[in-house]
Amino acid sequence: MERLRNALVWIAGGALLVVVAVDSLAMIGRQIRFPLLGSIEIIEAVVLIAAGGGLIVATLDHAHARVNLLLERLSTTSRERVLRLHALAGALLFAALLAGTAWIAADLWHGHEASELLGIPYRPLRIAAVLTLLVLFVLSLRGALGRRTR
Amino acid sequence: MIGEPSLGLAGVVVLLVLLLTGMPIGIALGITGLGGLILTLGLEPALIKSGVLVFETMSRYELGTLPLFMLMAHLCFIAGASGDFFGFASRLFGHRRGGLAIASVAGCAGFGSINGSSLATAATMGLVAVPEMRARGYSDALATGTVAAGGTLGQMIPPSGALIVFGIIAEQSIGTLFTAAIVPGLTQMLSYFLVVALIVGWRPELAPPTPRATWEERIGALRRVADVGLLVLVVIGGIVFGWITASEAAAVGAAGALLICSKRGKLDRASLRRALEETLRTSGLIYLVVIGALIFAAFIAVTGLADAIGNLIVGLGLGPVATMALVAVFLLLIGSVLDGLALMLLTTPILLPLVTGMGLSPIWFGIFLVRAMEIGFIHPPMGMNLYVIQRVVPDVSLGRIFKGVLPFLTADLVHLALLIVFPAIVLALPNWLGR
Repeated sequence: MERLRNALVWIAGGALLVVVAVDSLAMIGRQIRFPLLGSIEIIEAVVLIAAGGGLIVATLDHAHARVNLLLERLSTTSRERVLRLHALAGALLFAALLAGTAWIAADLWHGHEASELLGIPYRPLRIAAVLTLLVLFVLSLRGALGRRTR
Repeated sequence: MIGEPSLGLAGVVVLLVLLLTGMPIGIALGITGLGGLILTLGLEPALIKSGVLVFETMSRYELGTLPLFMLMAHLCFIAGASGDFFGFASRLFGHRRGGLAIASVAGCAGFGSINGSSLATAATMGLVAVPEMRARGYSDALATGTVAAGGTLGQMIPPSGALIVFGIIAEQSIGTLFTAAIVPGLTQMLSYFLVVALIVGWRPELAPPTPRATWEERIGALRRVADVGLLVLVVIGGIVFGWITASEAAAVGAAGALLICSKRGKLDRASLRRALEETLRTSGLIYLVVIGALIFAAFIAVTGLADAIGNLIVGLGLGPVATMALVAVFLLLIGSVLDGLALMLLTTPILLPLVTGMGLSPIWFGIFLVRAMEIGFIHPPMGMNLYVIQRVVPDVSLGRIFKGVLPFLTADLVHLALLIVFPAIVLALPNWLGR
């Protein structure tokens, strides 16, 4: 699991570094009147990988923002139960989002969507979004039904 | 299918309850919004609408700005820049009575210009400035209160994470929001300077003067802060003067921070991994919140709740100033039980149409909302900055920290009132620059 997480950090983090490089080059290019065509399309594709990685890392680390006012005052057992319910709600949400995203991907599959300038195909991007939601669903379900939650 | 404002109101109540149970904010927003959309539109349109929102949000160019600014902040932190702003300011002002408190506020503003978070600014500056002030004989209340309040500058001084999120939710230019935040951020900082001056004028024993730094020490401190300071000027100046977009500024900031880290010999595989991991974790948190907020906003829009509330309030005939004063009181009350991000995401879809319907600028509203959120960071029972500072100095009680922050809280309320009465404080700079 740790190796997988490490790989995810480097892949999604690498995507962020690609965004840094492309956007910086685009900015310099524009200033010296040598525009980097399609830079926004590249960034939109790469940022999706970074966003997916970020969502998974935050979920793995139980880092999602919450209001702790009540939670901190509960007994350990009650807190455990509430956290399980929250994880179940998360699993429900991710399952619905997964269904919606997969539905659209299936509908547009034969449309061969691609970006305007560079022709970046959207199919792999939609697959990446679907996979991200699938992982989030599994992680949340594991949090709801597994032996221990945090 | 139902499409009534009453359903929207029920959704708001459900959301509030879920948030108070401690459900992750993004999940609470998403599940309430999705449930509401299913009730109003039906299952298939609700799923498809949510699916479209997820893909669009994850691949959104403007939202890529947020992780890049976070990466810049983490890299600057690794480069050791967090203490440099305070170090420079303390060598300039430290010899004056209350000078270290003023330096702390200035340090918070400086660190806030590379970091868009109140909590991170308070935590980082707390570690640097509070022990120094206590060691120099400052009162615990003044030392902790100054940094807890100063930390909120992190959210207002650009780049601000909260303003980026607001820009995405409200579909406003992030560059214009950053430009609009500069004068409120600076006036907020000046108001804190004034508070410190008044406190030490009234009770000089709370903040004894410290030895004057030599010019060599001051120039040395200036050299240490020069590279990061230059990066901040390029990033913020570039956005304000329209040379670069907010997204490009974030990329340039992250690239510059990488160079600074490398120049200072702090960049290796482990530190880069740490910065990337922290960035991904925080940005993942924000992405979920934004996805949830957009689904919730779509639900609220379908129910017509915002229009109904707008008509109700306009029907009272209070006028913009009194209405916004009322909204401010409402935000401060809700902000006492919800954290800032939840407050913003719950209220923006409802209040923004009301505000624009009264002819007020959405840019002004973004700054007003963030300012109200900031106040929530230092007033109990939420007052997250107070808890953050207490973790830094566990021997100082929360009550004492709150006593220290009280004068700053008063200044904050006056400042918020000034923003309502004089919207030009927010809008003059972007208007002048044609943004």
